[in-house]
Amino acid sequence: MTVRPLAVHAHPPTGAEQLSQRLLSVGLLPILLVLSVAFMAVFEQKFFGLNNLFNVLRSTSFLAIVAAGQMLVLIVGGFDLSVGAVIALTSTVMAKSMAALSAAMPDQTAAIITLGVLAGLGCGVFIGLINGLCVAFLRVSPFMVTLGTLSIATGLALLLTQGIPVYGMPDVFVKEFGRALWLGLPTTVYIALAIIALVWFMQTRTRLGRYLYAVGGNLQAAIVSGVPATLNVILAYVLCSVLAATAGVLMTARLGSGQASMGGDDMMLQSIAAAVIAGVSLRGGIGRVELVALGALFLSILTNAMNLLRVDSKMQVVVLGFILVLAVALEEYARRRRRHG
Amino acid sequence: MAEAKSTGAARPAGVAWTALLVQALLPIALILLLLGFALVESRVLSAGNLLNLLVQASYLAIFASAQMMVIITRGFDLSLGTCVSAVSVVSALAMTGSLAAGGEATGLAIAAGMLFGLGMGALIGLFNGFAVAWLRVNPFVATLGSLNICLGIATMASDGRPVFNVPREFSALVYNGSVMGVPMPVVLAVLLLAVLHFVLNHTVFGRALFLIGGNPTAAAVAGLPSRRYLTLAYVLCSLIAAVGALMLTGRTGSGEPNLGGNLTLESIAAAVIGGVSLRGGIGGVPSVILGALFVTVLSNGMNLTRIDGNVQMIVLGSVIILAVFLDRFRAVAR
Repeated sequence: MTVRPLAVHAHPPTGAEQLSQRLLSVGLLPILLVLSVAFMAVFEQKFFGLNNLFNVLRSTSFLAIVAAGQMLVLIVGGFDLSVGAVIALTSTVMAKSMAALSAAMPDQTAAIITLGVLAGLGCGVFIGLINGLCVAFLRVSPFMVTLGTLSIATGLALLLTQGIPVYGMPDVFVKEFGRALWLGLPTTVYIALAIIALVWFMQTRTRLGRYLYAVGGNLQAAIVSGVPATLNVILAYVLCSVLAATAGVLMTARLGSGQASMGGDDMMLQSIAAAVIAGVSLRGGIGRVELVALGALFLSILTNAMNLLRVDSKMQVVVLGFILVLAVALEEYARRRRRHG
Repeated sequence: MAEAKSTGAARPAGVAWTALLVQALLPIALILLLLGFALVESRVLSAGNLLNLLVQASYLAIFASAQMMVIITRGFDLSLGTCVSAVSVVSALAMTGSLAAGGEATGLAIAAGMLFGLGMGALIGLFNGFAVAWLRVNPFVATLGSLNICLGIATMASDGRPVFNVPREFSALVYNGSVMGVPMPVVLAVLLLAVLHFVLNHTVFGRALFLIGGNPTAAAVAGLPSRRYLTLAYVLCSLIAAVGALMLTGRTGSGEPNLGGNLTLESIAAAVIGGVSLRGGIGGVPSVILGALFVTVLSNGMNLTRIDGNVQMIVLGSVIILAVFLDRFRAVAR
């Protein structure tokens, strides 16, 4: 990095400098998004087919919900490796309980669905509580704790199903909800939008949101100013797991069966990648949900585009790896530029 | 571990006793675990199984010590598992390739395989080290990136299939052989760990790693070339992992694109259970050996007592969380 002389600030910045400043403040994400869509417009018209757009939107929705949760944990300076495993556990527990309830009381579809979804979300609360309690009370590394719960939740999901898909969920749940379109768009899109709006509201307009930033930005300062840090950290982890569980419910409804292989390491890595590309700091204290949603959109478009362009799936993995490191390196560079003027 | 003892001596006797108890906790747990499994299944303590345990633990100890190199600097390496896969495939391809080209020169082929394998490891380590030390990318993200890159390399180079026809002499060299009755993997692991122990405790580089992890600001103020040392730590991590990968390739007798599997998580778990602190600055070869033995005894015992594989995952997860409790306890005792 070159050290710029102080005299630069004496005269008004040149046009080029203004442009680079603006680019750094907006971030690269919107530009990358526009570029990738423009690229597809030129090279692969199939991208704009209705079915393909629906696919992109669906996978964006799933990823955005999980990444929003991941972001909350990253903001308080943590990590959640267990999100993929929570999805798997939610999927199998929900499908199992729905199947059992359908056998017990075949007529009460509404009750079956409600109880099943609650059981699924309950798994999220359960794992989130373990994560949160261990991290907040014992101040232990979130990496290890969530690694432990990752293993536990995956083991439970496999144990429940023995690796076999669980069928027997009410038809209504799958056909009228999971695979349905409302006003021409997949249902998951609305739910994802609602969740993003809620998290946005929480982050910008409520005390909880400000507390989360405060705890992640400077823990000591937050405690000294009377922020209940322990409680907020626990809440962040519970919210993260519940959001992952919500994605699990939606994915299971779309697929029509509960599967222990759902989510997995892929979802964990992608959710962190989406958050990090969107500028969420791994040091805590920084992160905005609307950008994270854009990050999820970018990753989904990228994956979809590479599929359409018949990029080898193995090559896609390599590309994603490079993009991740590059995004963070650029972010870090921009951060230091800003700090040094 | 050495510094924990020396500072403990200056404190009141009570604290020293607690510290000693914490030190002894893992060996005691290890023995209890072994005896417990032996009660259920007598074969656990048979000579054959004990030897088997030792061989298994050798591999894990190598990978965990690789992981330790970067954990000491407050980092970690998520790419270790896929790095192992990539090294395995690349070295097997180099061996079969040079056999196909050169005919009968098996020794040359093995040398080429080792060279390419270690070179691959060094390259991956350089990438990680460059990203972490020079681009200042968080180790989690940097190695997450290289995890994906290595996965791609391993599957692309092998087309997703095992690479067969690795020369039998290679397996004989790193797996089947023995020195005075001790199986080759154990001999190699002991040699490697002894060198590593020396580097960590008796070289400037090794001591500097502890300072960089324990107090980065102090390391910078002291004028240590932190970036260069940090890069070297990542290169060493991947190189040690590459050695382990070559040994595993010799065992399976083929280059496997899925060889890494759970190694990343297992290596981190073994290191942390052994007492390498994720907060950086604390660790050592003896800790890693204990941790590797513990994880190996646990999974071997559960296999022999026919505990369901899925239950094993739950147990391993609980043990990891327990280990973190223990780590916290150790920190308080210090």
